[in-house]
Amino acid sequence: MSSSVFPIDPNTLTDAIGTRRALVRESARRSLARRRLLGRVAIVLCVVAVAISLTPLVALVAYTTSRGIRALSWGFLTHVPTPPGIPGGGISSAIVGSVIIVGLAVVMAVPVGTMCALFLVERRGRLAGSVRFAADVLTGVPSIALGIFAYAVLVGPGSLIGHFSGLAGSFALAVLMLPIVIRASEAAMRSVPRDLWEAGLALGVRRSRVVRSVVLRGALPGLVTGNLLAVARAVGETAPLFVTVLGSTLLVTNPLQPMGALSLTIFSDGTEAYPAAQQIAWGTAFVLLTLVLLLSVVARVVSARLNRQAR
Amino acid sequence: MSPTLLEEVPPPRLTPVEGVSEALQRRWGRPGGRAYAVLRWTGAAVFVAIVLGLLVSLLVSSSQAFGHSGLSFLWSGTYNATKDVYPTGVYIVGTLVTTTVAIVLAVPIGVATAAFLSELAPRWLGAPLSVLIDLIAAVPSIVVGLWGLLVLSPVFARHVEPFFKKVPLVEWFFHGPAYGPSMLLAGTVLAVMILPTIVALSRTALSSVATEDREAARALGATRWQVVRTAVVPGARTGIEAAVFLAMGRALGETIAVAMVIGNNYALPHSLLAPGATLGSAIINNFGEASPGLDRSSIIGLVVVLLAMTALVNVGGQLLLRRRLRAVGAVA
Repeated sequence: MSSSVFPIDPNTLTDAIGTRRALVRESARRSLARRRLLGRVAIVLCVVAVAISLTPLVALVAYTTSRGIRALSWGFLTHVPTPPGIPGGGISSAIVGSVIIVGLAVVMAVPVGTMCALFLVERRGRLAGSVRFAADVLTGVPSIALGIFAYAVLVGPGSLIGHFSGLAGSFALAVLMLPIVIRASEAAMRSVPRDLWEAGLALGVRRSRVVRSVVLRGALPGLVTGNLLAVARAVGETAPLFVTVLGSTLLVTNPLQPMGALSLTIFSDGTEAYPAAQQIAWGTAFVLLTLVLLLSVVARVVSARLNRQAR
Repeated sequence: MSPTLLEEVPPPRLTPVEGVSEALQRRWGRPGGRAYAVLRWTGAAVFVAIVLGLLVSLLVSSSQAFGHSGLSFLWSGTYNATKDVYPTGVYIVGTLVTTTVAIVLAVPIGVATAAFLSELAPRWLGAPLSVLIDLIAAVPSIVVGLWGLLVLSPVFARHVEPFFKKVPLVEWFFHGPAYGPSMLLAGTVLAVMILPTIVALSRTALSSVATEDREAARALGATRWQVVRTAVVPGARTGIEAAVFLAMGRALGETIAVAMVIGNNYALPHSLLAPGATLGSAIINNFGEASPGLDRSSIIGLVVVLLAMTALVNVGGQLLLRRRLRAVGAVA
């Protein structure tokens, strides 16, 4: 091109450029090959990591299922436990206990949580920020601390009830559920478009009515999802029940008395050395696992439907 | 609209939409507003009361123990009629060791799994595996504990622990007899427990990195792996750190599953194969038998120590998460 400017033989010049170009091309090729190899090694390592992480998780669920199904029968679900050494017996007392304890916890946590979420949605500023932060930190508080709190307030000497009871366990679980309910409900309510609020208010509708028929209605799937996830978390908790509910092998329906619970049965029977007790523990673990996974799946389906509607 | 018409309109101080919106939001005086306000404030007040009540009741219940031994409670614990002392220091060491084992095992594997699921795997593989791991995250810790005690513990006693005793250099950590229940087993069970949490949270952080960042790296000639390493992981760093903090909080505070697999030995552990105790396992094992008074008060003191440790970790995690959300612009 510019051969006229430079007093150099154009052929040598082309040669020099060609050599350079070949050099560059060669080193680029090498770099790419090296980087591709590195990438391949890294991807293989990642696949190994996936395999390592899936192995115990899947093994855990599969083993619990296979051992649990063997223990399962109609009688297992409907009979009360038999004394140690006597065959048969079931976990009906634990099922009834868990349902009552978690049911009462829902009755306590959901209204308060929803009201508190409304507070967070309506109010901006420092106070709301602090409440939100408190909820986030409370999510991470060890559940045993909540159990001991319930013990101090409801169970211990000189407290409101004064002895072990299902209600104390419900209270501990309600405190456990509260931050989950609050944060999930707040997120669900915030996802209702601001225009809908304003349209309602502009029609002259009372604010409480707008909240009831527009905001809560619109946020309903999100509220359901959040509450179901909170219930799934509460149902499997053991430590707080251990220090508040105590456990019982009798079929108790009075929440002011000590009750059985699924997780307590798993703990007490699973730590026994007898195969029969361990069998009951596996059966109970399977029932609990099924319940928790069912709740999570339903929560997921509801929120997926919500997302599809939003789109 | 003609341009002349536009000129006649005076420039608004607020845009009309904002003005209307603000006016609508301010209509508190209307009937129905008051009762609704009372409802909201009640919800917030009950919640705040519960949080404060939690702190106050735990501090009051443990005051006897802290009053008795002061700050030395943090190491030697309080005198106990039946068991000499509650060695708080031993529990703290046990808690830190098991949590460290869990983090060392779970974090690299968990983050690599998240990176694969969110960035490298084809969609047909990544999406169902992600859902699977999210679901497993809901498995109650008591079930993990049962599995650890009845399935993992014999495997550890027979194969894993003897194996580590033979590996040079690290054998120093693994001397002593291999029973099965040990600090190592407790740490492993905790790792299984926090793994799904780490994967789920890191995956969210990784997939929230802007597509432009990936495309920019790709346009500069980065291979797929280099995109992950140079653009995606650095972009998600705070999120991943927050995931680690939150998982650490969960490992620190776990009680029942650890109590099932750690062997519950109240002496300072000399090896990872030795049985030990953590704050959580000590609380759950001793609370039922504790007599009222100083005895019970010192166990509640252990709860306060545990609460302080987890609060520290969780506040750190939440602050990181918040900083990240603010950077992404997701928090109001």
